Amino acid sequence: MRQTTLCVPLEVKPESASRLSALIEQLKAQEDTGLAGLQTNFGRVIRDIPVLHFMSISVFTSPNYDPTFILEANFDGPPGVFWGQFEAAFAAWSRDVLRCCKVPLDDDADLYNAVTAAGSTAPVAPYFEARTHWPSVFHHGNRGMTRDRILAEAALFVAVRDELDDPNRHEPSPYRATQPAQVHQRLRAKLLPAYAWLDQPAPERIPAVQRAADLIRFVLFVVVLLFILTLPGVIFAAIAPAMIYITVTILLALGILGGIFTLRKPLPGTGIATQFDLLAFLIKQAPYIAGYVLVATLLVLPVDLAFRALFAWMGYGVPHTFWIALWRVTRAVLMGLFSLIVVGPLIILWLRYLERRDSAQDAPPIEDLVLRDMARTEDWIAQNHMGSIVLIKPGILRTAIIRAGHLGLGLLLRLTATDGYLGSMRTVHFAHWAFLNNGSRLLFFSNFDQSWGAYLDDFIEKAHVGLTLAWGTGVGFPTTRFLLFDGASHGRQFKNWALASRAVSRFWYSAYPDLTVNQIERNNRIADGLHRAQLTDTEAALWIKDL
Amino acid sequence: MDQGPVTPSASPPAASLPPPSPTSSWKLAPDIAALTQGLIVSGFSDLPTGRALLLTIADPTTPDQGSGAWLRTLNRVAPVTSATPPESKGGQQRATALAFTSAGLAKLGLTDTTLASFLAPFREGMVQEDRLRRLGDRRSGQWLDTVIPGGPAWSGKTAVKPQAAKLVKAYEVVRTLALDVIETPLTVHAILLLYTPDDKTADDWTGEVTTALLPHGVTVVRSLGLDLSVEKAGYSREHFGFADGLSQPTPYDVHGAVLQNGTAVVTPDPVQGVPLGEVMLGYLNGHQEVAPGPVVPGDLAGNPDPRPADAGLLPHPQAQGFYDFGQNGSYMVVRELRQDVAAFWQSMDENAAAISKADPANSEHITADWLAERVFGRNKDGNLLCPGGQYMAPDPLGAPATDFLFLARDGQGLGCPLGAHLRRANPRDTLAPSLDQGPTLLAAANNHRILRRGRKYGPKIADPRKDDRVDRGLLFMALNTDIARQFEFVQQTWLLNANFATLYQEVDPLVGPAGRMTVPEDPLRRTLQVKTFIKLAGGDYFFLPSLPALRYLALL
Repeated sequence: MRQTTLCVPLEVKPESASRLSALIEQLKAQEDTGLAGLQTNFGRVIRDIPVLHFMSISVFTSPNYDPTFILEANFDGPPGVFWGQFEAAFAAWSRDVLRCCKVPLDDDADLYNAVTAAGSTAPVAPYFEARTHWPSVFHHGNRGMTRDRILAEAALFVAVRDELDDPNRHEPSPYRATQPAQVHQRLRAKLLPAYAWLDQPAPERIPAVQRAADLIRFVLFVVVLLFILTLPGVIFAAIAPAMIYITVTILLALGILGGIFTLRKPLPGTGIATQFDLLAFLIKQAPYIAGYVLVATLLVLPVDLAFRALFAWMGYGVPHTFWIALWRVTRAVLMGLFSLIVVGPLIILWLRYLERRDSAQDAPPIEDLVLRDMARTEDWIAQNHMGSIVLIKPGILRTAIIRAGHLGLGLLLRLTATDGYLGSMRTVHFAHWAFLNNGSRLLFFSNFDQSWGAYLDDFIEKAHVGLTLAWGTGVGFPTTRFLLFDGASHGRQFKNWALASRAVSRFWYSAYPDLTVNQIERNNRIADGLHRAQLTDTEAALWIKDL
Repeated sequence: MDQGPVTPSASPPAASLPPPSPTSSWKLAPDIAALTQGLIVSGFSDLPTGRALLLTIADPTTPDQGSGAWLRTLNRVAPVTSATPPESKGGQQRATALAFTSAGLAKLGLTDTTLASFLAPFREGMVQEDRLRRLGDRRSGQWLDTVIPGGPAWSGKTAVKPQAAKLVKAYEVVRTLALDVIETPLTVHAILLLYTPDDKTADDWTGEVTTALLPHGVTVVRSLGLDLSVEKAGYSREHFGFADGLSQPTPYDVHGAVLQNGTAVVTPDPVQGVPLGEVMLGYLNGHQEVAPGPVVPGDLAGNPDPRPADAGLLPHPQAQGFYDFGQNGSYMVVRELRQDVAAFWQSMDENAAAISKADPANSEHITADWLAERVFGRNKDGNLLCPGGQYMAPDPLGAPATDFLFLARDGQGLGCPLGAHLRRANPRDTLAPSLDQGPTLLAAANNHRILRRGRKYGPKIADPRKDDRVDRGLLFMALNTDIARQFEFVQQTWLLNANFATLYQEVDPLVGPAGRMTVPEDPLRRTLQVKTFIKLAGGDYFFLPSLPALRYLALL
């Protein structure tokens, strides 16, 4: 099942910012009723927007820009269906919200005016749709699980548990003193009447076509990126004799590496030990390097053949035979790849030069009242929410790194985060990054399990390398080293920085407030077992451990 | 990796309790020890009795003598014990520790600037609505079942400050935030811990201290016994009957502040090692930063103030013109936890009966004791439960082993259940999704450790299954330097996390509210229905100053 993550950032009239926050609080007071954590909360949203997993509505304020309203939504299916349901549920309220926002300066102004005119009944959703921003990187935990399936399998889990532990049973339990395969049989028979959907095969979470497309997109990205990086080498190798090319490349590389070596040390007081081993990581990638040469050769080969044929047809030279072309292209790709020992270190040296001149913000200002509002809205259910905006460091290199980095990371996540988890992070439901204001600000939203502090500790303790890579281009980020090191490992400093970039999640909705990513996967394993009419003894022995 | 031997359940290792082992084998370098309260390095296990005196400071106290006058008096009758090891072979004859709530420090005359330099959780106090929700004590204006009826009897009552003259901006839509004002009958400004060799000394000393402080307007509003009641020469048992106070973090310091058997400990113990900055301010902590502490100003109304330097405080490295008030101090979490012993054992009986009824063929081994062991994760003598109904053998000194890991030994919790109190309180490498991630998760877990210094209060129950309506429990005391990342994390993310490990809708069976507990077994898990056994009767966050910091307070 396709799932969508989007956000709608709207600039707010500064004079109406406080009014807008009050409007959002009003909506929360109206929808988030009853004791938090119970089914009755957000009853209307559950009923009227059945595709929705998580939604947040907040207003970001900063000394650097006018207040910014952002609606974040994560839902099943394409945007059209969601906006239709949103319109039906929130049209009147949204219109008041839009009236607090600025008239856009581009062509959307007409739409804005039509929607916000006094007494207007024009649908609001088209305006939201027009102003939608798409994530640069997103992660879907429990990928491929629709909201309805998550809820149905959670209900099934409770039914299984109640059946196993039935306190009203007066005779010895039929699930004791028996084999796992029999437990499965008996449970299935017992639950089938109420859960008839168990009789159909479990729907595929990620179709093979989707997986293949994810793979192809990622491979293409890597090949193009490497090709661009090695292009200077390819050209140089084509015009210079091989020995000269190799000698010059090695000499250049040694010079640059020497420069890096002298700058390798952390700045005073910023070094942080980590268990991450860069060399071991690179050695593990050797098969991929071979793969790159193969794919790049295959891609460039037809180009070479075609051009030679074209030139020959125009009367210059002779067309390449396939084998000559293969040899020449492979050689060029390989030679070009060799130039990476210059290009790679050169970029690193440049980056290191910048890093040594970056200023980290040790104590970003945080208002007490904002902190109190955050504490007030947090830790009611099993999950929590954070939204953050940071400014991006300027410069060609930083811009190139963050753009290519986000594109690559986004494609990589699609390819690898298919088991429900985000690598070693096992608590993230829906998270995304997006560029705002022509790429000058970076927006981050996450819907995660446990408290905010625990979530950040998780990052600091387990994923500081990835986080430093992804967020290190933010202005004021704790001092980094070679893009990956230190940075987020400065636990307290990093937490302060992240905290100061946050907005109060005034309205925040979760469709399944007591289910963690782990529990959804567990429910899914149990349901998958029950979909099947029969399990082997080995399968059943494994399956029963989840009950 | 730990692969310690296990002993079959049929032959428990020790006939009675294991012999004593040095509860604090680590020490501080002598120059640091002389500046530090002894409570940080020692639970004073040579002194089995004592009193915890909760103090309230009247307003105003003897103003002509200064707000620190009572501390000078206290220094005569109960001088605070340093971390320097006692010279005599028999150890200390008496020991004292002293800590303050935020409101207490305000009463002592610390300025607003100084008070603002403490950690937010300490400044706000434990009894704050959002904090109490995270700690599982109160929700939506209601005390939960894990608190004694009517709410805790005492706290620092650090009222959330009214927003003094808040600037109303143009276009502001004024919001009225309904502040949940939480009152406790008693207000506590300081906790004075007296450790003594016997009850008589404790009573006499308490009387002496009470009398000496009274003229200063400092009164003892609550007094609790501090009981180690060592059975034979061994460990203390808590009231439910289980060995207590095992498995503490052991600090190390790269700059040599920690000593063990006379040599500096500069690398972490593989299982229990934490940087010294996790339990003491001013040293490198688990985030490889110096644990930040409060500061006091070096000037008074524009003139140099000699008192910080006279007291022995050092200039603060970051804040020019301020003195480091935190160095060698710590934050102490105190929670008075009332235990219902009869409810605990009756509940274990009921569960054993229910399990035996549902599964008569395979449940002979399931007794109340067997279930209670699963709730704790250890047997009564403190030895870890291992798969196959075995227990981990004690260490060579005969004390329960504490250097074990879970993942390889008992990843599914077939020995020590995933939701057992021991495993939730310190999961070690439990939360790793795969074996190769074990070391990372162990290191992560060690960023959330606390140094426990609690003792039980109240008499031992005569018949554990019969409610005698006597007040007894544990005065939980724990040292840490980052309350949110350490104590509150343990309470919220491990103990009371309804989704801990791979569990669902169940929390710690011992300290949590009534509910379910899963006990993994092959092939099918069992389920207990536990009741609320432990209730919060009072508590707050305290600051445990260094000795120079105490001297500074006495000069005020």
